[in-house]
Amino acid sequence: MIRLSSTDIDNAEGAPATDELRSSLVEGLVAELHDGVVASHLVPGRDVWVRVTADAWESAGRVCRDLLGCTYFCYLSVIDWLPSPFGRSMDSSVDNVLEGVAAKDPEPMTHGVAGGESRFQLIARLYDVNRHVGVNLKVDVPDDTLTMTTWTKLFGGANWHEREAYEMFGITFAGHPSLRKLYLPGDFEGYPLRKDFPLLARMVKPWPGIVDVEAMPGVADDEGGE
Amino acid sequence: MGLVESGKLPKPLTKLLNISRKYSMWVYQWGLACCAIEMGAAFGSPRYDVMRLGVIPFPASPRQADLVVVSGTVTDKMAPVIRRLYEQMPEPKYVISMGSCANCGGPYWDSYSVTKGVDQIIPVDVYVPGCPPRPEALLEGIVLLQEMVANEDMAAKWKGDPLVVD
Amino acid sequence: MTAISERQQRAYIASQAADMRVNVELETEGMTLNIGPQHPATHGTLRIIVKLDGELVVAADPVPGYMHRGYEKLTEVRTYPQVNTLINRIDWLGSFANEVPFILAAEQLMDVEAPPRAQWIRTLLFELSRIANVTLFLGDMAVQLGAVTPVFYAFRDREYVLNLIESATGGRFHPNFDRIGGIKDDLPKGWIAETKQVMVKVNAFCDELEALLLGNEIFNVRTRGIGVIPPEVALSYGMSGANLRASGVDWDHRRDTPVGLVYDKLDWKVWTHPDGDSFARYWVRLQEVREAAKMVIQLCDGLPPGPIMAKVPRIIKVPEGEAWVATENPLGEMGYYVVSKGELVPFRVKIRSASFNNISIVPWLLRGVYVPDVITILASLYFILGDIDR
Ligand code: SF4
Repeated sequence: MIRLSSTDIDNAEGAPATDELRSSLVEGLVAELHDGVVASHLVPGRDVWVRVTADAWESAGRVCRDLLGCTYFCYLSVIDWLPSPFGRSMDSSVDNVLEGVAAKDPEPMTHGVAGGESRFQLIARLYDVNRHVGVNLKVDVPDDTLTMTTWTKLFGGANWHEREAYEMFGITFAGHPSLRKLYLPGDFEGYPLRKDFPLLARMVKPWPGIVDVEAMPGVADDEGGE
Repeated sequence: MGLVESGKLPKPLTKLLNISRKYSMWVYQWGLACCAIEMGAAFGSPRYDVMRLGVIPFPASPRQADLVVVSGTVTDKMAPVIRRLYEQMPEPKYVISMGSCANCGGPYWDSYSVTKGVDQIIPVDVYVPGCPPRPEALLEGIVLLQEMVANEDMAAKWKGDPLVVD
Repeated sequence: MTAISERQQRAYIASQAADMRVNVELETEGMTLNIGPQHPATHGTLRIIVKLDGELVVAADPVPGYMHRGYEKLTEVRTYPQVNTLINRIDWLGSFANEVPFILAAEQLMDVEAPPRAQWIRTLLFELSRIANVTLFLGDMAVQLGAVTPVFYAFRDREYVLNLIESATGGRFHPNFDRIGGIKDDLPKGWIAETKQVMVKVNAFCDELEALLLGNEIFNVRTRGIGVIPPEVALSYGMSGANLRASGVDWDHRRDTPVGLVYDKLDWKVWTHPDGDSFARYWVRLQEVREAAKMVIQLCDGLPPGPIMAKVPRIIKVPEGEAWVATENPLGEMGYYVVSKGELVPFRVKIRSASFNNISIVPWLLRGVYVPDVITILASLYFILGDIDR
């Protein structure tokens, strides 16, 4: 009945195998939202992630705030899970495109803890300042609409964070009082934090810091130290 | 001052004018980022004491300033404002660009929102490198600028254009 | 939750009443005033558009972004050690403190732990940057209220602390001293003794300011009951640091969620103030500087011997995973949510900076205050532009 995928608890040594405080948060959310909770992930002694459905997003915030005591709004942001079309890291980034190396085949999209299905995922963090515990809430943003319900009615601080998410990722928040650009000048085009937004300066000039990852002369083993 | 405008200023007079200009630089502080704090330390703290160089960091508006120190990251959103500031200053005016960011973009050379150097918007006379430059470096930049001012040919600077007061 | 004095309650109700525009007998014409982006009162390039009704602020809309440098995007194209250089510059007054949560998050993902000596030195430099940061606030807030002297004291005494940081790390401002698995260097000779002397000066500076300002009638009139933030509102806006503790919420990452730093081995206290006004915010910060000086002395005394670097590969690849680490920075809670895909570069870094949340309360807070109080409130919230705009 309870669809919890918290079987993948990695047992960090020293940390307690169970974490009652954090699992009670998960249980509290499941008890209120039932099927609204899709998955969860718990690392005892460290942190907990709960993924909810898009419909349950607002009520998840409300349950956390009113029933679970998580009144402190830490942040709200978006993760774009699309693998970057410009390569996965420095050695395969735009710098190689400059040198004529064909871009790699696009890699499959993989998601982080607590899974995911869509390209964009909203992540928010709330704290309970009395019990000294925090919870990460994740939700998949529907790929076709890119719209979520707003949290501004629950947490005043969500206002600016949602404006930032709107500006940087192009996610709209239904019910937000004034969804405008926050940082960038009005005529800026594109959503800079999306993975497929190119950094033009890097396109015209190779990254000078790449020497950092080259092997040092005389060092045989690159992965030295071990 | 008709002499200046007509471009027929005698050499000794130029020297005299230059010396007085050099030691009464009113500097407008256009502090933008981290470098602004080092600029504040150079201009405001008792240890560096910029006024001994004949630099007065008090103008309330760019209209009263001879020199502006642009210190810190210039973003694309800020660029028009800087341009406007520069246009408000009366001639002869000088610009010191302080810090790698104002010089060329610095650590944000590949950012989507940072102007790669304030010299794309306004002409710069002295570049002070560093991230951030120490207050002493800024002081040296000011001394360099003063040298430049001392050797300036007023007649060449004006090129005979009449001063227009509107 | 907290006892707000009657006077503050009245001020709060009055501001709410002004907010509802009950004051209709005297019809005044509205006016829009633009403060900034370059204005002494915003100490930075924050622009605030306020709508005035006479002297009363009806609505305020801050326009950040004049210092937006795109950190979160740039972290995706920098290797982990390079990110460390970059994030120094977020809160430029207490740079070292910016590095620590990021390094801790990376360490958490890599499952390495810095040796004890490195942890102590980290904590030591962390607290020193707190002093370097907050002393400037203590002087600057007075300047905003018209008292010019304290800022000179602040610059004078800050210089000693910067010298310490410089002699230990090599950088006055942006040390870039923290490494995954430890720190770059050990402390130089004679540093400990010098630090203790400087802490005496810092304490003297605090006493001096307390004598100068806290009893001052003008200072009291201009700060007490001005900009009252009730605890529930502060929490819902995610205010953190001294701003939150000045509203009476007892929440401090150093004590409550200790990760990687050695605060649990020190004898210190978290100060709160029940009032939630500008005075309380000043007062709490003043106490925090004292507390930091106290901690620095304890840290100097208890510094354990040993190595300063754990074994880490020379080329750092962080294993796949997600980690969130937050620390109590001079400005408030600063945290990094690091998503790694096992590469040289992070996949995504969400930077949660304190001032962003602290300043997002401004539209709520400035409604119904008088224009001169705008300056007081902004100064007392204490933000750093790089920390808002990132
Ligand atoms: S040059 Fe360095 S210190 Fe100066 S503003 Fe840029 S990043 Fe900050």
